[in-house]
Amino acid sequence: MDIRKVKKLIELLEESGIAEIEISEGEESVRISRYPQGGFPTVTMAPAGPAPVAMQPAAAAGQPASAPEVPEAPPSGTRIEAPMVGTYYGSPSPGSKPFVEVGTVVNEGDTLCIIEAMKMMNQIEAEVSGRITSVLAENGDPVEFGQALFIIE
Amino acid sequence: MADVSAANNNSMSHRDSLIRSLADGSYHSGEDLATSLGVTRAAVWKQIKKLGSLGLQVESERGRGYRLAAPIELLDQERLRATCLLGNGACLEALDVFLEIDSTNAFLVRNRSVSQNSLRVCCAEYQTLGRGRRERKWITPWGSGLCLSVAWCFSGSPRDLSALTLATGVIVRRVVHAVTQADIRLKWPNDLVWRDRKLGGILIEMTAESHGLCQVVIGIGLNVSLSDQVMRTLCDWPAGAVDLSTIMGGQVPSRNALAASLINELSSLLSDYEHAGFAPYAAEWRASDCLLNKEVSVMDARNEVSGFARGISDDGALLLELSSGSLKRIVAGDVSVRVS
Repeated sequence: MDIRKVKKLIELLEESGIAEIEISEGEESVRISRYPQGGFPTVTMAPAGPAPVAMQPAAAAGQPASAPEVPEAPPSGTRIEAPMVGTYYGSPSPGSKPFVEVGTVVNEGDTLCIIEAMKMMNQIEAEVSGRITSVLAENGDPVEFGQALFIIE
Repeated sequence: MADVSAANNNSMSHRDSLIRSLADGSYHSGEDLATSLGVTRAAVWKQIKKLGSLGLQVESERGRGYRLAAPIELLDQERLRATCLLGNGACLEALDVFLEIDSTNAFLVRNRSVSQNSLRVCCAEYQTLGRGRRERKWITPWGSGLCLSVAWCFSGSPRDLSALTLATGVIVRRVVHAVTQADIRLKWPNDLVWRDRKLGGILIEMTAESHGLCQVVIGIGLNVSLSDQVMRTLCDWPAGAVDLSTIMGGQVPSRNALAASLINELSSLLSDYEHAGFAPYAAEWRASDCLLNKEVSVMDARNEVSGFARGISDDGALLLELSSGSLKRIVAGDVSVRVS
């Protein structure tokens, strides 16, 4: 299935307040479900086939503790993870330039983003020096403890 | 460039000396001020004109000189040091008092330290870049509020520290209540409220340090004595802001005494928090909850949700009852009471 279509579906889900949608298209099916609390979508793609095969990944997607399977973090590089539950901000204030983008070269100790929980602003710093190869959260996203935010290589 | 900045520093120190001279609220002649500052009378007059931009109201009368419309009890480093009695054996590592600074929180964030069980304090008469949540501007006129920040290092993980913001609200409320005896409430997570008006706010900034330590900087802004015009425009709440002097019927409390109480109470909170957590403060927070059972909107970076505020969870999240009947945990966002 076209990744753009999946993205569109996620946006649709976010806007609608629906907890879960499943779409089958020929050989493929996609099921997108929200976490009960966090509100960020999980995507499970599975070939449409005999029921038992399709059911298994769908059931996994319903479990609140399971990590999102897509997009998957690239295996190389250092993962910077969220140390707490909160709201992710990529810039110091609304409308200002983001701290970092894909391609930004950072030094150890540079601020990468802010996570807010209950008016506590937690500055997340680069644990290593390197180049940002992935930014895995968007401004305003709710993030969970341990969720990958950046990859630095 | 060096010359320009030296000249600026010079004129800044003249301004500071001028404010110190005028702080007592009585008249000082231009000539006396010129002599004590070592400048011309014209230079004094030029400086006086600039004080207005800091929010200081200067009155002048022919033959008597200049005076501040109201005296200011300046924050006094020595007095604060002498009256601080830190709780639980915590020690005072540093106490800085500035007449003017960008932001007391920013100062402590810049000057990091990894010493444990020690408190660093910074307060200022005027912040040029005072700020609240998401860099929102919070600037009060010179000497009219209390801008106080403290820094502390925890060895725990930031994951367990979120409710510290609510516990801090409880502590500040306790100190303000002791001074005013008024019904001061808390608006989630930690704004101080009197009759729907904002008395003060708290902003906590945290940075994880290497070797598992994390530094927390708590910034407290309290309105002490503001003009009506400033109170109306300081914040975007429907009822505006309020100051301690209004609550206390015109009496202006001592800012040095307030600061000392805050420092002492915060040191007890911080040295206890790592093992005690939020639990010892939860009941007091709940008893002061000004949003309980009110219909509210919560605005976050993306969207707005509405529902009824149903108190807080044990870890400090706001519980919002949605129209579907389900409870949603809110950990970040601006809460406002819906007017229907």
